[in-house]
Amino acid sequence: MGIEIIIDKCTGCALCIKSCPFSAIKIKNKKAEIQANCTLCGSCVESCKFDAIILRRPKLTNKDLSGYKNVWIFVELREKEIKKVSLELASKAREIADTLKEKVGAVILGEKVKHICDNIASYGVDIIYIAENENLKVYNTNTYNSILTGLILKYKPNIVLFPATHLGRDLAPRVAATLEVGLTADCTGLSIKDGLLLQTRPAFGGNIMADIISPNTRPQMATIRPNVMKIQNPKSTHKAEIVSTPVEIDPKAMRVTIKEIIKTTKTTGKSLDEADIIISGGRGMGSAENFKILEDLAKTLNGVVGASRSAVDAGWRPRTDQVGQSGKTVSPKIYIACGISGKIQHQVGMKSSDTIIAINKDPEAPIFDIANCGIVGDLFEVVPILNEELKKNLGKN
Amino acid sequence: MKIIACIKQVPDTTEVKVDPKTHTLIREGVPSILNPYDHYAVEESVRIREESGEGTVTVITMGPPQARSSLMRCLALGADEAILISDKNFAGSDTWATAYTLSVAIKKIGKFDLVFCGQQAIDGDTAQVGPELAQQLGIPQVTYVEKIELDNKNKLTIHKQTEVGYHILEATAPILLALLPPTSFQPEHPPMSSILKAKKKPFSVWDAKTLGGDISKFGLEGSFTQVIKTYTPPPRCKCEIIEGNTTESAKKLSKILLKHEALITR
Amino acid sequence: MVDYTFSEEQELFRESIKEFCASEIVPKTEKLENVRCMPKDIIKSLASFELLGLVIDPEYGGLGTDVVTAGIAAEELARADPSCAIPVLYLVETSWGHLLDKYGTEEAKKELFPKIVKGEQIIGIATTESDIGSDLANMKTKISKKGEKYVINGEKMYISAVKEAIEYGGGHVTLARMKPELGTRGMCMFYLPLKGTKGITPTYIEDIGREAISCGGFNIDNVEIPKHYLIGEENKGFYIVHEGYELARGLISLVCAGAASKALENGIAYIKERKAFGREIGKYEGIQFKLAENYVRIQALRELGYKALWTYDRELQGEASRFDVSLAIAMAKSVASKWACEAINDVMQWQGAFGYSKECEDQKAWRGVRSFTLAEGSSEIMKLIIARELLGKEFLAYR
Repeated sequence: MGIEIIIDKCTGCALCIKSCPFSAIKIKNKKAEIQANCTLCGSCVESCKFDAIILRRPKLTNKDLSGYKNVWIFVELREKEIKKVSLELASKAREIADTLKEKVGAVILGEKVKHICDNIASYGVDIIYIAENENLKVYNTNTYNSILTGLILKYKPNIVLFPATHLGRDLAPRVAATLEVGLTADCTGLSIKDGLLLQTRPAFGGNIMADIISPNTRPQMATIRPNVMKIQNPKSTHKAEIVSTPVEIDPKAMRVTIKEIIKTTKTTGKSLDEADIIISGGRGMGSAENFKILEDLAKTLNGVVGASRSAVDAGWRPRTDQVGQSGKTVSPKIYIACGISGKIQHQVGMKSSDTIIAINKDPEAPIFDIANCGIVGDLFEVVPILNEELKKNLGKN
Repeated sequence: MKIIACIKQVPDTTEVKVDPKTHTLIREGVPSILNPYDHYAVEESVRIREESGEGTVTVITMGPPQARSSLMRCLALGADEAILISDKNFAGSDTWATAYTLSVAIKKIGKFDLVFCGQQAIDGDTAQVGPELAQQLGIPQVTYVEKIELDNKNKLTIHKQTEVGYHILEATAPILLALLPPTSFQPEHPPMSSILKAKKKPFSVWDAKTLGGDISKFGLEGSFTQVIKTYTPPPRCKCEIIEGNTTESAKKLSKILLKHEALITR
Repeated sequence: MVDYTFSEEQELFRESIKEFCASEIVPKTEKLENVRCMPKDIIKSLASFELLGLVIDPEYGGLGTDVVTAGIAAEELARADPSCAIPVLYLVETSWGHLLDKYGTEEAKKELFPKIVKGEQIIGIATTESDIGSDLANMKTKISKKGEKYVINGEKMYISAVKEAIEYGGGHVTLARMKPELGTRGMCMFYLPLKGTKGITPTYIEDIGREAISCGGFNIDNVEIPKHYLIGEENKGFYIVHEGYELARGLISLVCAGAASKALENGIAYIKERKAFGREIGKYEGIQFKLAENYVRIQALRELGYKALWTYDRELQGEASRFDVSLAIAMAKSVASKWACEAINDVMQWQGAFGYSKECEDQKAWRGVRSFTLAEGSSEIMKLIIARELLGKEFLAYR
């Protein structure tokens, strides 16, 4: 194992036990002992006042990885248009590429995608790799994986970023395993440190943050949480070189095929994970019909309506609109929680929102612990008045 | 119909709290539980086995010795045999090394039709092990699986959740499915008779030597990603409760919202 | 030193029953105010989790587990329903079902257990009368032979689950005197069906607690029962009834521990939040001393309770004596209700005026647990049993 307690130095003070997020240290015979479930995160090393813990990181590879250059993004589309998260990725990739003095590449797969190239280029992309085929219209793991890994092996990018969407979280690990490289999931922060991509992500239901690197493999891959990275202003003068890849797909060889596509969400326009503003209802809403006041408010704010698990369980909103541990994780700029108590399972899904506003009758509701501001009151009175005030001032009357 | 279900024992992260004064994790008294997504995967694998009329469900985990209790729970839920893959050499595994270790175990078990796992574990939240395992086994995958229907011995109809609804897919075995429970899912609590039956089912423990495989690919040595630091996120600011009666407070809130950059930059 | 750790199956069972209680029992307890008759769906819930047949022989549809496992169920049910109504139903069914299993006739067991285990009919205990509690040998209810049957006359009072038996089906294990002149040596134990039985006239009273389970009594007017309902031999009833009481007392000790533990948890959460004179009241020594004292007593009660049930199991396997069992069980029950009441009373006190209102959950626990100074044998009798075991029979207080 890469971690060792220096018995002579260890005083059994148990400070390391308190610092371990995984309960992986026990005291045996008055000395600390590392257990088998240790993840080698190193929290204990920092906490030890007696320098009694040594963590041996695996050696950096001898391989020459300097030949891997450029920061790529995988562009996800929704019905032929670029998904908002792809613009976030492009902006972030541009920032990282500038630090590294490298280029930004974008990979787009689909039936007909040339029409979006100019748009994505204006967000700082230098090279666009496209593959067009009618069988690429709907996502399929094997075909997308095969094309993407082919491109990566050929062009050797340094970094590849995917959106942490349903598609991205299905595709990225498959690609990573095919190429045998490191992948970090659901990042909320990216930067360059000592020439390496420093990837920051939440874990333990968002209770801790972890900084991760992939030092020995290329490309360094990560999936990025939507709605976190800022979108830069597009520059229409920025142009990209387009590289077209021929694709041959035998649909009969596909082991997984789509029979039907069904839409259940009640949200119109943006989806929950793309929305800047989410107005969410919980058990306090009382009925499906009552959600109308939230839908009205959402319309005024150009936002989207979400729901807590209680509201979904009660059948008032569909599962696709659920925010929380067993639903979606969202990071909008504004999250307004109406009649939601804010149990941990719900908080896990929304607490990285920029601004959280809570409206609830119960002043003890846990949602107020994480809200920026709130109203203790009857949402059925507050929300309509709020809506009217906003409409007046936003000129939507 | 041979089904292999991969599970993980995790700390109950909904019970984990942050000490408001020191901003560190309070882990004392946090129980270890069977990852809820895996619980659903195991119940589904048992159901599919019942529907097919024959076959076995083998449940496996890579974990420390205490993961035994989660495997016992799976046996009580109806799985036929359990294998605990446990060795100090597996410590520090990232998702790739974990997937590799599980793939060695599954290849050692032999021929199979389906591999079930939970969509993600509630401590890591990565959802990566399933697809990485599928790649290493050379089989296709479907993630975000909410519902499975067995059409015949090796054909399945699958409901895959999407951001806006779901897709209905058709797939052929062998295949890996990463499941997430529908909202209607009520996890089973096995009664005593199932627990007593579980004690009689085959339970094996495989260390690295028994498992075989390439030892340089296990644990920290075999991992491609490294955690270099963990810390608690900075606390959110204190909540400002807006004063006044309903009308007053609603008006004040609207003023606050109107000043927010999300509305200004619309 | 002996190893008292729970077995792996017992730990798995505890984890599973905790989840069962959280999803099936706790949500239902909110609707049990003043109900005075256990709702059928709760009985069915208990049956579905095999709780009504845990210790019954598998031959009759039970699981045949040990009584420590039954104790785990008692503790967890009390944590889920601190008013103790559901735990009481569970423990009388377990204890008196066990006695029927041990001493009943094949015919009675085959007839009654399939329905008991499924929650379709009740089994409980009915020995107390209006004028008779501890002094069983002087009870008024009499039994005599009449051809191939027995005839019973008398009355029983302060019995749990009479209404449930009358309405849903079932009856109670009962004691009556066959040869009054022989005192304790002339008593019979038998199963007395209540539903639809000619000659049974029920009455009901309201206990101050345990509102979800009925309390009442019934007149027994020339009631005939078939021969196969006799439990044990004629005139041997007094000697075997104690085995049922002992199991019940052991389970009661854990019910008290469970209800008090839950109340202490509520109390701890409260004293960490509530402020007075500028600080959380949990920071005051006076509160901390009470917390520590109660916590120690309730943990000790758990130990006494589980040890008592473990001893009971060993006696069933022939590895302990009746003396060991009587002593261990009496020790646990002698303090169970008192210590639990004290702990819950302190938790109520910490909550000030709120603790004295019906809004406070803990007062339900106090009212429930208070019954156990009397039920299945009073605390005073427990002390006499302990003294008898230590001093010898010649020192029996009442001979």
